[in-house]
Amino acid sequence: MGLYIVKRLLAMIPTLFGVAVLIFVLLRVVPGDVVEARYLTQGSQFQSQELMNQERAKLGLDQPIWKQFTTWMTGILHLDFGLSMWTGSPITEEIKLRFALSLQLAIMASLFAQCLAIPLGILAAVKQDTWVDYAVRIFSIAGLATPSFWLGILMILTMLIVFHWVPPMVFTPLWVDPWQNLQQLIWPALAVGYRYSAVGTRMMRSAMLEVLREDYIRTARAKGLWLKLILTRHALKNAILPVLTVMSLEFAFLLGGLVVTEQVFNLNGLGMLFVQTIAHRDYTMTQALVMLVATFFLFVNFFVDIAYAWIDPRIRYR
Amino acid sequence: MAAAPQTVEELTRAAPRAPWLAAILNFIRRRPLGALGAALILVMVAAAIGAGALAPYDPLANDYAAMISPPNAAHWLGTDAYGRDVLSRILYGSRTALMVGLGASMIGATFGSLIGVASAYFGGRVDLTVQRIMDVFFAFPVIILALTVVAVLGTGAGNVILAIATPMVPRCARVVRSSALAVREMPYIDAARASGFANRRIILRHMLPNVMAPILIMATAFLGEAILLEASLSFIGLGVQEPTAAWGLMLRGAAVEFAETAPWMAIFPGLAISLAVFGFNLFGDSLRDALDPRLRTQ
Repeated sequence: MGLYIVKRLLAMIPTLFGVAVLIFVLLRVVPGDVVEARYLTQGSQFQSQELMNQERAKLGLDQPIWKQFTTWMTGILHLDFGLSMWTGSPITEEIKLRFALSLQLAIMASLFAQCLAIPLGILAAVKQDTWVDYAVRIFSIAGLATPSFWLGILMILTMLIVFHWVPPMVFTPLWVDPWQNLQQLIWPALAVGYRYSAVGTRMMRSAMLEVLREDYIRTARAKGLWLKLILTRHALKNAILPVLTVMSLEFAFLLGGLVVTEQVFNLNGLGMLFVQTIAHRDYTMTQALVMLVATFFLFVNFFVDIAYAWIDPRIRYR
Repeated sequence: MAAAPQTVEELTRAAPRAPWLAAILNFIRRRPLGALGAALILVMVAAAIGAGALAPYDPLANDYAAMISPPNAAHWLGTDAYGRDVLSRILYGSRTALMVGLGASMIGATFGSLIGVASAYFGGRVDLTVQRIMDVFFAFPVIILALTVVAVLGTGAGNVILAIATPMVPRCARVVRSSALAVREMPYIDAARASGFANRRIILRHMLPNVMAPILIMATAFLGEAILLEASLSFIGLGVQEPTAAWGLMLRGAAVEFAETAPWMAIFPGLAISLAVFGFNLFGDSLRDALDPRLRTQ
């Protein structure tokens, strides 16, 4: 097990390196850079070439590509992501608060989704091909079909009309005022969580259906066990693994994938930052964000695999 | 073999029913949800094809006398902030959605399945390398990868298709590869190899047709997802650009700002997106159940 963990951790390195190369190259293929983007927003695009070159030199953009890459890589190895090319402030500072916001939102959406998905999935499987099953399936497919940003718009709209509630403009962190913070994040969490629960519900249903056909369930039934006991003790334990996998992978994607929802609810999270930095051609910030999201994803993946091996004795890796 | 019709009633009832009609009725009876999905898709296709005839107004025409007017007899679903008819824009928007959805899922499925099959066929080091490259793409959330591609290529419908197809390639490749691995062990592949066929011919003519079921399933699943992604990209202003009629675009800007006073601008386009994606998902699910029961758990 120990060796397996080490192996898995080492296997992350080439993937992360690939991500780094990919994002580095992709960004530089695009014509224009942060200096041009800045002058464009200031409305004076006819700056002297000399001035622009000076700016570029300050940001290190005049260096050859490979040198820029090695500088960036050495920085990462020292856990130093450098300064944002747009604002000039340290990237870790810029990301910190936004990371907290996005992570909290992802966790809340995930909790809500699981509370919805697991019971609904079990219910649909137990009542397979009845109207309950059909209703749950329609509910979950509708969840997959509804854009979470539209659901968000509808939520805000409902609250505007019914409660005259206006989404606050400034974000309050959890540690400053928990109540205010939860009020702010509960709605986006619900909007995202609904879609996310649909994935889990479908997985729970199909995993449960498979397990319910197993011999040991028939045995348990034949010896007259209480249905509730069979479901919780025998079936759920065996069916929950794939559900947890799918849901954790979705969770990993939530961190950077809330771009559109954050826009609707006016939340300044990682997704919003990503859109801004892409528009600003802020190379260092975009790179840092992509690396953060990819690392997070790989680590969630890693923990899922470890948990798998730990929970399920049938799956023991070399 | 069925018993021959005995009575006049049975004869007359059996005669006019064409085989395709019987097949459709059978599909509706056996998979009501799939049939509902197919019906929604048909409505959408009809709207896209017949938009020119069905739409009461030009989707780009501004009517400054009727800006933000609520649904009424002249504008059934109201007008937007530029006085454009919402119904007409939704009808024309189905063209954009279908075009981007079909384009992205076809490109994504084609490249993904080619990579998947080739990777499985060659195996060994090639397979390993391809899988590692796919892992890199997997580490990006779908929308982040699509946004990055948009940043590289620029906005507009054609680039959005490529941007949406990109994250689908590795997903499709992974599923197709696992099916192709089983096909590779089949005796007929050995036979083809023994006959001295070129690798390309074996991959395209012998392996690809035998993994068509998962490819079709992936492609339909992608369709709905691609429509959703297009709407998301257009909504944040990095997808299809104004003044093209696109559902995500219709929800942008004024639709949110005036949501309280003019909810029709926000409600109907979103409804169109949801119904379209809902239809493709329902149909895709039924297709999956019908084509490949083994994939039911995925």
